[in-house]
Amino acid sequence: MAANAEIYFEHDGWGRALAWSAGLHVAITAALLLYSALFYRTSGEGWGAGGGGEAIGATLVSTVPLPANPAQAQNVLANESKGLTQSQPKIEEKVADAIEIQGKNAKVKPKKKQETASKEKPQPAPEEETNQVAFGEGGPVSGPYGTFSAAGAKGGFGITGGGGDFGTKYAWYVRVIQQKVAENWLKYEIDPRITTAQRVYITFDVVRDGHPMNVQVEQSSGVPSLDISAKRALERIDTFGALPPDYSGNKISVEFWFDYSRK
Amino acid sequence: MDQPARPTRQRRSGRIGKAGLALVVLGILFLSPALLAQDWVKTGTSLGVEKVRLAVSDFKPSTTDPQNTALLKTFNDTLWNDLDVSGVVELVSKSFYPLQTPGQPPEVNFLAWNAPPPNAAMLAFGNLGAVANGRLTVQGWLYDVKNIQSPQILGKQYGDAASDAAARVMAHKFADEIILRLGGGIAGIAESQIYFVSDRTGHKEVWAMDYDGSNQHQITRLGSIALSPRISPDGSRIAFSALTKTGWEIMMYSLDLNRLVSFPHMGGTNLSPAWSGDGTKLAFSSSRGGDPEIYVADASGGNLHRMTTAKGPDVSPVWNRKTNAQIAFVSGRTGLPQIYAMEADGTNQQRMTDQGYAVSPNWSPNGQFLTLAWVRKYGPGEPGSSDIYLMDIASKQWVQLTHDGGRNDFPSWSPDGRHIVFQSNRSGSLEIWSMLADGTKVQQLTFSGRNTQPNWSWK
Repeated sequence: MAANAEIYFEHDGWGRALAWSAGLHVAITAALLLYSALFYRTSGEGWGAGGGGEAIGATLVSTVPLPANPAQAQNVLANESKGLTQSQPKIEEKVADAIEIQGKNAKVKPKKKQETASKEKPQPAPEEETNQVAFGEGGPVSGPYGTFSAAGAKGGFGITGGGGDFGTKYAWYVRVIQQKVAENWLKYEIDPRITTAQRVYITFDVVRDGHPMNVQVEQSSGVPSLDISAKRALERIDTFGALPPDYSGNKISVEFWFDYSRK
Repeated sequence: MDQPARPTRQRRSGRIGKAGLALVVLGILFLSPALLAQDWVKTGTSLGVEKVRLAVSDFKPSTTDPQNTALLKTFNDTLWNDLDVSGVVELVSKSFYPLQTPGQPPEVNFLAWNAPPPNAAMLAFGNLGAVANGRLTVQGWLYDVKNIQSPQILGKQYGDAASDAAARVMAHKFADEIILRLGGGIAGIAESQIYFVSDRTGHKEVWAMDYDGSNQHQITRLGSIALSPRISPDGSRIAFSALTKTGWEIMMYSLDLNRLVSFPHMGGTNLSPAWSGDGTKLAFSSSRGGDPEIYVADASGGNLHRMTTAKGPDVSPVWNRKTNAQIAFVSGRTGLPQIYAMEADGTNQQRMTDQGYAVSPNWSPNGQFLTLAWVRKYGPGEPGSSDIYLMDIASKQWVQLTHDGGRNDFPSWSPDGRHIVFQSNRSGSLEIWSMLADGTKVQQLTFSGRNTQPNWSWK
């Protein structure tokens, strides 16, 4: 082979080859489009192929009643409680009924009536019953769990029946009852047309092993679905935990009320 | 406390006549001892419920043994973590604690704990000490510090050989006792186990760990591929699927004997076994008839029944562990996999999810919820991610528990129904994570190798 062979010397015409190439590309593209339009839609069962099935209404909710605590903890470092101190009665300043017309007696200095709190006869302070603390208020707690947050509602647990001191001695157990019933009360069971209802009272016993028994509606709310939801809340609970081992009784009786209002 | 008047009672009492009055007086005379013995508790929903503010004072050394420092650290850290992730109490930050912490009941200064800054309702405290003969003794108390007259709720003493593992177990036991009382009779999970698949030895084998990720150890050594381990309700056996010479078969491993025990080979591909709540039955998917369908067999493998017949794969069965009367499963009968539920005899099959790609159902211990992995928006151009969801079965309402955290799958309930363990690649590799059932307190449990398909023990 010559050392100076001219390798770029021969030139074929490119026009024909380019035309073939363009034609083939167009044909392949058209075939792909045709295939996808005609065949692709009809194939593919199994995973990932879509498909409807029966219509099921699954709806997003902000919360599903969970075993966790439903209520938010209150800021314990500062609250709006006024405490046990009593506010002083406000001193009302008396306004004169009429303004004296300036006349010939103008030079005479009118006797100014000055009423001061010191001269006023001290009013007796409003009587406050010594055995009551406003709900959710009071400085150091007067009893176990006296500082439940109330969200505007009034109420509290108390003990009736002679001599029984379960609530004071085992306040932690009362709180467990309250928490478990509240957790298991599913408000979506209540007729959605109801916006507010009377309080429903449920009574039940908690036996030695913590199992709730004898669940009864003591006073109906007048709304059957609310009564049933309250009763079901108790029926969902297997146990509150065994009664405290040093408690001498065999059971405790609980009256539990349910307040319902749809905001 | 204000309570509405009860007109019915007043009317009733107004009608009582003289004869009735005499009867009532007589009745009271006879019944009064019984009435006196009766304790009534009155409470209601409108009071609001706060989590108990629990202060956990570091346990104090009861001896001067040099081992105490390390053992105390293990014990205190474990106890704090157990209570912190329990979801039952709100722990008071240690920065609020008084300088003098108690080690014995007489040392408790109630006012220092029940008033701000700690403002605790409960106080856990105690002491720990190793003695010369290698024994470790722990005394622990739980006090209701707002109830000065009768504060003690719990007092426990534990003894074991002085070791780090023993200190950890004692902390778990004490935490469980506290949670049992404050959580309403539901036992704590501090002593529960999580079984999972890990490839850290080079093969996918079944592993186990404590619920908090400690004490990880290998269970199977097949040198093959093991998948979907499921612990039996009594904790004695693990059913799992493994690749054998004849294909994917259900295998059974005895934790009592520490070896495989016999389970019949079914033929076809057999996957995802699931125990019934009473431990007598096993559901799994098998393609022995061609299409993957749900089968139910006795725990020994006998008495095999086919439950589903629909065209399309039916896999991943799971029992309603409370009633044993329903089975949830995944079916591709309508295209993408969806969650279905049916009666345990195969009747009344009902679709639970409405769209997307839903897999890995798991039934809550109280039978009320399903947790599942769900890609709600699935398909080309849909930026859906696989997240853990919770569905209330009766109402079909659902809540998304994980958000923007990689690909999450295989959720499994804890025995107390308050926690969920799952796998996620949010840290970059597949690892086991746990969270409270409301999506909070997410924590990573495994850190080496790829770890998947967790299954929480039943107790």
